[in-house]
Amino acid sequence: MHDFPKQVLLIEDNPGDADLIRLRLIESRTQLDINCVNRLSEGLASIESMPPSVVLLDLNLPDSQGSETFRKVLEKAPGVPVVILSGKEDEALAMKAIHQGVQDYLIKADLTSRTLERSLRYAVERQAVLRSLEMSRKQQLEFKDQFLSHVSHELRTPLTCIHQYASLLFDGLSGPVSPEQRDHLQTILKSVNQLHAMIRDLLEATRAESGKLRIEPRCLALVELASQAVAMIRPMAIKKRINLQLEAESHIPLVYADPDRVLEVFINLLDNAVKFTPPEGSVTIKLSQQKTDPEFTYVTVTDTGRGVSPEALPLIFERLYQDPDSVDGNRSGLGLGLYIARELINLHGGRIWVASQPGHATTFTFNLPVYSLSKLLSAVIVHQQRLRESIVLVRVDLKPLASPVRGNWKEVCHECLNLLRRCVYVDKDLVLPAIATNGPEDTFYIVASTDMERVNIMITRILEQLRVLTHLKSIGTVRAMARQVSLSSEMQDVSVEQQVERVAENITEMVLTDLRTMNGFNKKETNANAN
Amino acid sequence: MQTEKGKNDTPNFSRAKILIVDDDPELRMALKLRLRANHYETVSAGDGYSAIALAQKERPNLIILDLGLPAGNGFNVLKRLQESDALSHIPVIVLTARDPQSNELRSLDSGATAFFQKPADNNELLQVIRASLRSASAWGTTLPC
Repeated sequence: MHDFPKQVLLIEDNPGDADLIRLRLIESRTQLDINCVNRLSEGLASIESMPPSVVLLDLNLPDSQGSETFRKVLEKAPGVPVVILSGKEDEALAMKAIHQGVQDYLIKADLTSRTLERSLRYAVERQAVLRSLEMSRKQQLEFKDQFLSHVSHELRTPLTCIHQYASLLFDGLSGPVSPEQRDHLQTILKSVNQLHAMIRDLLEATRAESGKLRIEPRCLALVELASQAVAMIRPMAIKKRINLQLEAESHIPLVYADPDRVLEVFINLLDNAVKFTPPEGSVTIKLSQQKTDPEFTYVTVTDTGRGVSPEALPLIFERLYQDPDSVDGNRSGLGLGLYIARELINLHGGRIWVASQPGHATTFTFNLPVYSLSKLLSAVIVHQQRLRESIVLVRVDLKPLASPVRGNWKEVCHECLNLLRRCVYVDKDLVLPAIATNGPEDTFYIVASTDMERVNIMITRILEQLRVLTHLKSIGTVRAMARQVSLSSEMQDVSVEQQVERVAENITEMVLTDLRTMNGFNKKETNANAN
Repeated sequence: MQTEKGKNDTPNFSRAKILIVDDDPELRMALKLRLRANHYETVSAGDGYSAIALAQKERPNLIILDLGLPAGNGFNVLKRLQESDALSHIPVIVLTARDPQSNELRSLDSGATAFFQKPADNNELLQVIRASLRSASAWGTTLPC
């Protein structure tokens, strides 16, 4: 019923085996296009130029051995069925191959034309079934995505109406309100906010599932973010007489993370901790570095709650997981918070886990990658094992016209960052990730490893494009300036890594000096305006 | 009617005229009450077509715009406003139940000055209205005092 695969790619270095397999194939079918190569590199090239219907693969080739061979073929041809032909029985290797997506593992000595023919035919068929399953899974996810986005829109409209009218009443805009009525209205508004948060979580969880969750990492001081989260949770903790504290080791390095998303995770963990800790207990959030793992900063949130049972531990980060013993009258929410938290931390390249002593305490721990300028820099400023000769630091200032609106200004800055990335020379310049500052204006830095003349061309282009962006109505002034980064002469004797390290230090120093003077400048400006 | 906190910071913008565009009459009414309590003048429209007509006739100082509208959705309204020399300077705040991830940047790209998802925090919204009116006036629009 189904056609036998027509184009067979045989990757086999032993001429005797190759002839034998070719013979077996021709015995079974007459019209076959068999392409035989004897190196993996040739096989991969052939897959790229013309994908075959099926790949017959020997594992031990002159340029690749064992599992490495099928890993590379699968990577090159994700949709093409692969059948391994091996000289020896190796059940462990065969299982590994099947688990990674290989369709069959055949032993050369056992081959007859009939078994080979059947194996190839089924391999192609299985691959087709797999593909259609994957397609329908994707379609279903897409459908779920659309459905939820539609539903959440429809739910938000009446929710907004409740919110608007309740807050009109609450604010006394429809006449005087008694303290009792105010109290009731407050309860309505609180519930509206809960409902709103649930709708948001529902959408976020679906996004996480379909891989559409996005983060925008910048260079970030975790301590500030943690204090912000603690300040937000404190009223709730005070109400329950829970001692909420923040402990941070000194010298916590900057991390590379999305501030809004990490704040979300902090709040989620703290909120849970306070919720599950009895009155008079304590919740502690702690930031630390571990000597064994200097590339990450660790955050722990520890409570003195009743803990998590050993059976629940592996399930706690799963979607819709809810504590079955949670009968304290609290509304528990959808059970998506920790799932979203885990997805967000994973997207940052970190990990999150939990440990608990039932009846005593629970500790959630997660880590985030430390921001490393030298790691980012080495890709652009090292050329042919040498530091490039000229390194220029370009600074682009953006000031809003009026007092900025946080959400809007954030989007404006995001757009600017994208624009800057389009203006720089690929592989030669690097737009540094934004540094979280408190000020309303944003400053962007570009490390350029091109000569001054080209830097000037780049700056002209940046300024032109920034002015063209019509929707950036709220931008007041744009300024750009460039400075040479000094490369000291003694650097000749040290390794390239150390040179990059020093250049990174120089640049960091320049940026920090800049930001310090800029803050002073702004304060003066504000004073002048106030007068 | 009572005056809300923060209103006194910028008394000269309070008489500005705001066009509310939303297809839900109850939401239009709630927004109108909120804005009037803050001493703004309001006019309102329930669809894209009358939004443009009203903008031309009334020349509002600011527009609050929903995205899902009959007779030309919010993006069409933004486009029409941008194309008109007389109206393109008016700041537009998008206030919608739609998802920010797929609509926020698109709105800003189409000419909106700010994006809010419903239900929006009233104080934040009022703050943005004030800021937008200030920057609009700095860009050369005259406001009634």
